[in-house]
Amino acid sequence: MTETTIPRGNTLPRIRPWLGIAAAASFVVASVMALFWAPTDAVQGNVYRILYVHVPLAWLAYFAFVVVFLASVGWLWTKNPLFDAIAVSSAEIGVLFTGLFLVAGSIWAKPTWGVWWTWEPRLVTTAIMFVMYVGYLLLRGLSTDFSRRATRAAVFGIIAVIDVPIVHLSVLWANSLHQLPTVLRAGGAPALDSSMLLTLMVSLGAYTLIYAYFMTARVSLERARQVRLWTT
Amino acid sequence: MDNLIFIVAAFAIVWGALLAYLISLRARGV
Repeated sequence: MTETTIPRGNTLPRIRPWLGIAAAASFVVASVMALFWAPTDAVQGNVYRILYVHVPLAWLAYFAFVVVFLASVGWLWTKNPLFDAIAVSSAEIGVLFTGLFLVAGSIWAKPTWGVWWTWEPRLVTTAIMFVMYVGYLLLRGLSTDFSRRATRAAVFGIIAVIDVPIVHLSVLWANSLHQLPTVLRAGGAPALDSSMLLTLMVSLGAYTLIYAYFMTARVSLERARQVRLWTT
Repeated sequence: MDNLIFIVAAFAIVWGALLAYLISLRARGV
């Protein structure tokens, strides 16, 4: 069994309440803007408002899995348990966000495409991403040795991130039913109305704060768990 | 509002899941 020293102490204590307040306030503003302030889309009508939760959740899920990748590299490089705590926390929140943007996207697709689900490149690569990170979380349960399990998870976390750019670029590489990028377009300005873009950016800010709040809370939990279970 | 049921369902599921995760964090000791 490999011995790993888990430093004691809470590293993320004081900013969490303020993050929580900022996240809640921005969430209310973003929701009001998305449901009532943003104009009705000329083609899709009001159902497009679902995209104000779908798109930020998708971007934050990508971001969460990139954080898993960076923290995994950090663990392999330094063997500092904080990186493992960051990786598992971000993976858990990323899986939550991926599940939610898949469901929200599916609900949007029914009135827009006429189907809840279709086997097209963006949806399939996203489903694979979701399953891979659920697998990442399950993999962590296979070993009770802290160092071994963190290393296995880190290797998986580094490999799995390959799917993130594949998901984003799948609509460009293949003939896809899913619409092309509207905001993050190569060589062009965002292709949407300025008030819609503002609402999307406020929503992105709100969900970013929610992600940050969840991360501070979840990392603190994981650090406490590390101290409880693996302090040597 | 057209397609109201779809909009309400999507927002309710997302809000509910985020709230549930927040409660789960609290229950785990945050």
